[in-house]
Amino acid sequence: MSAYLANAIEQGQLVNDWLTPKRLGSMALLQQTSWPTRKTESWKYTSVRSLEKKTFERGTTNDEHAFSSIAGLDAIELVFVNGVLQQLPEGLPAGLSIASLENVPESTQVWAREQFNVAKPSQHLFGLVNDVLADNGVIVDVAEGVTIDTPIHLVNLVSENNETQQRVIVRVGQNAKVTMIEHNTGSVESLVNHVAEYFVEESAELELYRFSFRTEKALTVSGAHVQLAKKAKLNATIVGFGSELSRMDLDVLHRGENAFAKINAIYLLAKGEHFDLHSTIEHEIGHCVTDETVRGIVGEKATAVFNGRIHIHRDAQKTLAELNNKNLLLTDDAKINTKPELEIYADDVRCAHGATVAELDKSALYYMTSRGVSRDTALVMLNFGFINALVDEMPNAVLAEWLRPILKERFVKMNAEL
Amino acid sequence: MLEIKNLQASVEDKEILKGLNLEIKPGEVHAIMGPNGAGKSTLGYVLSGREGYEVTDGSATLGNDDLLDMEAEERARAGLFLAFQYPVEIPGVSNLEFMKAAVDAHMEARGEELMSSAEFLKAAKLACKQVNLPLEFLKRGVNEGFSGGEKKRNEIMQMLLLKPSLCILDESDSGLDIDALKVVAEGVNSQRDPKRSFIVVTHYQRLLDYIKPDYVHVLSDGKIVKSGDASLAKELEAEGYAWLEGYDVEEADA
Repeated sequence: MSAYLANAIEQGQLVNDWLTPKRLGSMALLQQTSWPTRKTESWKYTSVRSLEKKTFERGTTNDEHAFSSIAGLDAIELVFVNGVLQQLPEGLPAGLSIASLENVPESTQVWAREQFNVAKPSQHLFGLVNDVLADNGVIVDVAEGVTIDTPIHLVNLVSENNETQQRVIVRVGQNAKVTMIEHNTGSVESLVNHVAEYFVEESAELELYRFSFRTEKALTVSGAHVQLAKKAKLNATIVGFGSELSRMDLDVLHRGENAFAKINAIYLLAKGEHFDLHSTIEHEIGHCVTDETVRGIVGEKATAVFNGRIHIHRDAQKTLAELNNKNLLLTDDAKINTKPELEIYADDVRCAHGATVAELDKSALYYMTSRGVSRDTALVMLNFGFINALVDEMPNAVLAEWLRPILKERFVKMNAEL
Repeated sequence: MLEIKNLQASVEDKEILKGLNLEIKPGEVHAIMGPNGAGKSTLGYVLSGREGYEVTDGSATLGNDDLLDMEAEERARAGLFLAFQYPVEIPGVSNLEFMKAAVDAHMEARGEELMSSAEFLKAAKLACKQVNLPLEFLKRGVNEGFSGGEKKRNEIMQMLLLKPSLCILDESDSGLDIDALKVVAEGVNSQRDPKRSFIVVTHYQRLLDYIKPDYVHVLSDGKIVKSGDASLAKELEAEGYAWLEGYDVEEADA
């Protein structure tokens, strides 16, 4: 057992709140879990050594952090500094309720406690840590039939030597629609463990954005776990940068017929960064669709890990599932470990998966420079070309406009290192 | 304009250019002909600065610039343009944004104020029209899914926008039918100017019916072995390259 895990268990035993009945089960599992090593299948390519002996402060400081809202985007802002929600938004649209995890009305407690860990599988180590330690976050409830036009924008800012254990539970009622943007940023030595469960009920729609922009010494472990009911729709866009440790577990559970999940993920890794995306799509029931596209660009001495599992259960007939992962390695020492896994137990399904790895197209680079375009500009254009198709597919155009220059700046940084 | 002296270059340690001399004055059109493997394309690559083409001796100057001492992009901004024999497909980068970036880079290097997007779009549309390229090709990825003829016309379209002082056309006629060939030739002829020079690299005489050269050179085994006026091209057409010393007919056919 690592010092980190021992400390988490010790602290978890002191937690006593409305979630305790659920936390106890996770605590029991956590106590039997060993710290991952290279031999642990789900952590084979991602080392947790940088976290092993660390202890951080939790929620004790309330430092000033520079944060600017997304230009041109009218959003409901939930800004957390070291796990402290700065302000609970007021004047929410009718049909939307948001409660801070520390202060949940009794009626909300009842359903939220019931849903806790229903979408999140128990095998994720840091999911269990979050189960026992989560002390901040929000419970979001969108009432039946309501469309919330204003996106909810959740941001985590963390000071040096701080840790946040955040839990988000979102329920999108029948025929309701909502957009969630979850945004983790920073580069100082710190830890964010951000776990969210989303329950998309019958014919409801969730538009989800996950921006994992924590770099350098900012360690990040996170989970996004989505349960789709009958005719529910998910449209998710994930953008990840890397750090010493950055891992995201994505689970999508098709639990009602005719559910639809579109997932686009992008990772862009600068020098020496590490990013790991483990996605698992469970087709538990028939007539559901998954369309998952993952594209990454990996810079010098950086490592990307993508594990894409699609599990089609025995009764999930007429499933349509596609998974595609394309990678661009900028240098000889950039690394990608990609593993698409298709597990099919039904006989009447259409599934496709594939992974490709390409190197920088030197002939394209020469062609562009031969027209007078500088090497740096050409590289940015080539890189951007590779992922722009996914940015173009983001349903929120304002968000796409905001994202493009951030990605371009990232490419400039990645290319400067070549 | 362009002065090449004793240029020697190799690719992967194989010597391709073996002491090439060539002088081109402003406004002149020079055709370079020769058998396959003579080094015709290599000359274009070496002059434009392709990676992997190592100059082992000699010099090449464009105006006052020592070409061989410059990066590929600097050579382009100094006025050199190579129309590729096999233009590269670049999915994800639109023709329009690519050419805007290229024109911007040229204007920036000259210290000029950049064109607005609207001004540039107008210029690009005009260039497309001139080479008979549908306007939607501006929005498509660079050369992505273009036919052979469309790629060649796209090269000339780029040339029209960049207004280079020295254009090297590398087999711009290969794979073209006669109509496409005329479009390419008309595009080139429209740019003939007392200040602008051309090197037309071709295997066949056909293109030279439409782009009249001032001089014709025969390149063989990395050197210019014969120079003359336009009538030399006709001779070559009639006699082929078999008369060249040390030239193996069978090898060339292979």
